[in-house]
Amino acid sequence: MFDVNEFILKKAKELGFGDVVVLGYETNRRQVRFANNEITVAKNWHERKVELFVELEKRVAGTTITELSEENIERTLKTLLSNMKGMAPKEDYYGIAEGPFEYRDIPETFDKAIVELDEPNEYVERAINAALEEGAKRVAGVLYTDHNRLYLTTSNGVEAFDEGTGIEISVRAFIGDLESGHGTNSVRVLKKFDPESAGRKAGEIAKLAQNPEQGPEGKFDVIFDPLAFANLLSYMSFMTSAYAAEAGFSFLVNKLGQKVASEIVTIKDVGNMPNGYGTRKFDDEGVPTRETTIIEGGTFKTFLLNTSMARKYRAETTGNAGLIMPHAWNILLEPGDYTKEELFSEVKKGIYITNVWYTRFQNYVAGDFSTIPRDGIFLVENGELKPIRNIRVSDNFQRILEGIKALGKESYHIHWWEVRTPVSTPYVLVKDVGITRATK
Amino acid sequence: MHELVEFAVEKALELGASYAEARFEEKNGTSLAMKNGNPEGLEILADRGMGIRVLADGGMGFASTNVLTKESVAEAVKKAVKLAKAASRVRNEPIVFSDEDFHEVYYEVKMRKDFRDVSPEEKMELLRKVEEEVKATGVNVPMRYLGYSDQVWHKIIANSDGAFIESIIPRVSVTYNLVVFENGQMEQAPFVQRAFSGGLELIEKDEPWSWAVKDVQALKKLIYEGKKPPEGKVDLVISPEVAGIAVHESVGHPYEADRIFGREAAQAGESFVKPDMLGERIGSEAVTVIEDPTIPNSWGFYLYDDEGVKARPRYLIRNGIITEFLMNREYAAKLGQRSNAAARAINYNREPIVRMANTYLAPGDYSFEELIEDIKLGVYMVSFNEWNIDDRRYQQRYIGREAYLIENGEIKHPVRRPILEITTKALWSSVDAVGKEIEMFPGTCGKGEPGQGVPVWMGGAHARLRDIPLRRP
Repeated sequence: MFDVNEFILKKAKELGFGDVVVLGYETNRRQVRFANNEITVAKNWHERKVELFVELEKRVAGTTITELSEENIERTLKTLLSNMKGMAPKEDYYGIAEGPFEYRDIPETFDKAIVELDEPNEYVERAINAALEEGAKRVAGVLYTDHNRLYLTTSNGVEAFDEGTGIEISVRAFIGDLESGHGTNSVRVLKKFDPESAGRKAGEIAKLAQNPEQGPEGKFDVIFDPLAFANLLSYMSFMTSAYAAEAGFSFLVNKLGQKVASEIVTIKDVGNMPNGYGTRKFDDEGVPTRETTIIEGGTFKTFLLNTSMARKYRAETTGNAGLIMPHAWNILLEPGDYTKEELFSEVKKGIYITNVWYTRFQNYVAGDFSTIPRDGIFLVENGELKPIRNIRVSDNFQRILEGIKALGKESYHIHWWEVRTPVSTPYVLVKDVGITRATK
Repeated sequence: MHELVEFAVEKALELGASYAEARFEEKNGTSLAMKNGNPEGLEILADRGMGIRVLADGGMGFASTNVLTKESVAEAVKKAVKLAKAASRVRNEPIVFSDEDFHEVYYEVKMRKDFRDVSPEEKMELLRKVEEEVKATGVNVPMRYLGYSDQVWHKIIANSDGAFIESIIPRVSVTYNLVVFENGQMEQAPFVQRAFSGGLELIEKDEPWSWAVKDVQALKKLIYEGKKPPEGKVDLVISPEVAGIAVHESVGHPYEADRIFGREAAQAGESFVKPDMLGERIGSEAVTVIEDPTIPNSWGFYLYDDEGVKARPRYLIRNGIITEFLMNREYAAKLGQRSNAAARAINYNREPIVRMANTYLAPGDYSFEELIEDIKLGVYMVSFNEWNIDDRRYQQRYIGREAYLIENGEIKHPVRRPILEITTKALWSSVDAVGKEIEMFPGTCGKGEPGQGVPVWMGGAHARLRDIPLRRP
């Protein structure tokens, strides 16, 4: 596909564009959705497309070209040019990275066995059966297989290629209307794929959650399951983008260098994480992906940046382009030193939340939000779990980070419908979390 | 393109599908953003492709391609049929579709001011106008994120049961996030959108800058004059905007038949509504909720759904009684009914699933003054920020952005963040009066995996809720 990239770059330069980024994709994605222990639909997507970014005297524009004939490419470039000519420049645009760069292979990001996998339905059946064996009555979920090829060419000397695979499953198990559990498994190489573990966890939680009583309200110490905390960190990942801060969508606005979390909290973005679902060799302008410490020992160190925003703030790019909007690849909360048992024994009276969804903000810059526990919720009292229902976490993002009291020692990599940026997190114990419930 | 769509359907039947549907979609448009006065760049959208959905051996398969040649489409059809057959082996019962009347139809939404003839800089002027008007208020708004988007959606849908529907629907919208910082305090109006199906004239007439000005002035007033809302049992008047989110979340979603039958269980969730709840009371006599894709120029507009079924208004609640679910052909068959044309897909590469279009609380016969005149102590909630609902659509919460105290029948000072956290049945049972005028607000309804954000309107009339346990932050 580099021939297409080169043609686009050549034509774009001929037309007088300045910075040009051509990012070609060839993707093969399969999906199997299931519910009530049966497959509801199976899908296949094969896509070939080019994402194009162009700059003309500080005016920037982008488009996706899916019809890759030379005639359409030339037409598209001319359309961009004529549309951009009368526009006002983006005064805070400072260019793209200067290549070329050297790239290293990242372990466990490609597996031929996934490319050659003919039929993934057996994995679905294994996950369903694992949940049923734990006592679930109804099992629903989704399985994906991915095979992606990326071709990047820029006007600043970058020509880069990456090829990756992935397989993942998300399983939700039900016993009655109110008793459910959820488990996920997302990996890049087939031999590490463990659909049974997702099914088993979903089934185990559903079984534990039987006959829940109305939950309490007030302030409670809360143990967040990795699945639940990953949701919050996934929202936070967007707020670590310098773009989100400028646009008024981040509680980290004006907090560089300040304490924003408990001292035991270190949060990173790891673009080159082996076996990470969001891992890539390079960002959208060709900068090699890397590990960036966002919060270290509770102190906010940096927003995620691309080259232009880095220059604007007199900093270095963090390898997170998005040309318009820098974004995280894999968010990682450094684990602590508690076993799961030790973490639960820390809580005399508290709540264990296994999953959350529907996180919404009252005010992004203040960080006020609420989110709804879904699936098993438990009162934790002297090591015993008692199922409850119908509560809501209503608190403030920074206060949750500041309230982190203990972290599990084992990390879990989470990626599913509600956790769009992959997150690696342990079990997390947070003190005095605001819990509310409907009163009528 | 018509031939290629027909070819896909015929090919699927040839390969052993018992039902086949092909949907060509083409979207063309532009989007622009402005952040704190800086133009953020232009995005040109030109996307087209075909999605093929089949039933074979009782299983369902879907495949799409953006290479629109006979070979590529044939390959996608082959995949869809193969996937359906393989999926059928992990099914307890075959998927069956309801019988429907199908038509050959062409329809188009006309633009009086065609946005395709307007230059990006002229469109950017709309955003600059929002900037200028907001600045002219003198309110300190340090963060301003503005977006403009237009798209023409062209679709051709054919199925093996005789549907052949072609449509052209233009859609245009302006979105903003405004952060007001005054007196050391900060308030925010995020993701506010004004949106229509039609031409640029609709946005110009709607004047999104006026909405933005109203928002920042209300937030400034809230900062300087806002007091704690009353707590405990009070009366609550909700605006059409708040009524809209409430009907969308707690009436529209739980009445989606695919949720009721558990198909969305692992993603968008299930429903407290069960198939045998048709005819049950869920709200007071005053509550009627209508779902209507056919409202001209609405953000959720369509006349035929993505299964080729003719759309009509759907009465989800009539005078407090559950009367109809939202259905596609699969779940209409399960219920022994006809589809009511709620199948929608956001693009050629997505399957049609059960969705809302324009959901609203039907008008009653009260003027706004009549709604508030006998309230001794209450709150008027005009707009909201934070909201969410559990996955069975029963426990929800809405927090007021702009809200006022009502005392002895009069609207008084602003109140800060009144919280309505309530069950669906309690909410709709508490309504004792509904206003005469309706108003609609756009939104993007998320559902499905992979996600499908479809354009919807939500709204209706003002509603008065009696004896509501209101909370403070």
